[in-house]
Amino acid sequence: MKKPTIKFYRRILQISVAAAFIVIPYLNHQLQINYICGNFLSVRILGLTLADPLAVLQVSVQNWYIAPGILIAAGIVLALAICLGTVFCSWICPYGLLSEWVHGLAGRLLPENYKGLNIRISAFRIKVCIFTVGMLFTLLFAATPVMNQFSMPAWYSRIFQYIFVQKHLSLAAGVIVAILFIEFISRNRLWCRCLCPQAVLLVLVRFVNPYHLKVGYQKEKCLISGSVQGPCQKACSLSLDMKTLNQALETECTNCGDCVAVCKNTGQALGFQFKRWRSKEEGFRFKNLL
Amino acid sequence: MLNRYLRPPGAVTEKEFLHRCIQCGQCAQVCPFDCITLKTGWFHSGTPEIDPRVSPCKLCMRCSAICPSDALEDVSIEKSRMGLAKLNKDECYTWIGLILCRSCFERCPLKGKAILLDKGIYPVITDQCVGCGICEYVCPKKAIVTVPARFLET
Repeated sequence: MKKPTIKFYRRILQISVAAAFIVIPYLNHQLQINYICGNFLSVRILGLTLADPLAVLQVSVQNWYIAPGILIAAGIVLALAICLGTVFCSWICPYGLLSEWVHGLAGRLLPENYKGLNIRISAFRIKVCIFTVGMLFTLLFAATPVMNQFSMPAWYSRIFQYIFVQKHLSLAAGVIVAILFIEFISRNRLWCRCLCPQAVLLVLVRFVNPYHLKVGYQKEKCLISGSVQGPCQKACSLSLDMKTLNQALETECTNCGDCVAVCKNTGQALGFQFKRWRSKEEGFRFKNLL
Repeated sequence: MLNRYLRPPGAVTEKEFLHRCIQCGQCAQVCPFDCITLKTGWFHSGTPEIDPRVSPCKLCMRCSAICPSDALEDVSIEKSRMGLAKLNKDECYTWIGLILCRSCFERCPLKGKAILLDKGIYPVITDQCVGCGICEYVCPKKAIVTVPARFLET
């Protein structure tokens, strides 16, 4: 029997999280079981509160007050990102799961030569712009934390809250389907890659720790070195070229491990590691970051 | 939904409440009486609201205990100022002398403090009222209106 790959475990976790956030509102409302409650903006699991760092940042800058509980809640999530990178995006986020499935479906249904939308400038730069504009708007004009309305995982869980709390099907369900359809046509996971402002903090915060989890590449072992598109790049849902992976590209890598799993069958040049980047050009530079 | 929906007990002033509320909906999920619903619409969507005509607050105070961002502060029942009930004496069955009704007095969670009986007969709402909306819900003539705290802020 074949040993299950990293992707198998990842899918199990993703699907169970996505299913959990459908079941949680039902358990709370119909059966009055309150061990887990909340949505992706803040969830309480047996007394332990977790919160979306961006939502916490917004409510803190709006009235210069941070409730101690929520600070710890966001801190735990940020600590995870500091140690393991943006694993939230690839291992937990239910929108990421839907987006990956749509991406896979597009690969099968759309013709091979149709490449979709090609974005030339750094995707992370677009994200940071959206993040900055959103934060300024929140700080200066908005009465509520408005960037919560752009959070796809939060809306995913809120749709089910609305359905079970008050039998109301939110318009957001249609919006999510529409964005998935755009991703289907553009074929490059547009929202996750270029737009999602929630990931910005998770990406930035891990540069505090140079020893965070990352995919390492050993050139000696690689069978398809050079500029040819290897199996790792084909496996990557974001089409990142792991052979040139450095800090600049790393702002997009979500440590999903698909490339590592594929590489196990060929050269075994890729692997997860907690080491620093080796050479100078891979090293930390703000210029590379943006 | 009424325009004069109530915020859950323990809510800070409306402006601050909107700043603090992280829209997680935990308050709506722990509410055992399904009083709290989540607002729909654009920017205020996801913030909690209570319609006293549908299901008034029973002041169990679970929502204010669970709120992670202190938009609902964990205060005692007497200090949770959700609003203030106003009794229209021209419509109240007892005040116009039609029948002897004490529904609001009997059901008030702060009986004897928030609602008193003038001369042992006529219900009177004092400023001790926290605005839970139960009297509005039980009044057979709908002579009571609960004014949300944000309308009373100066």
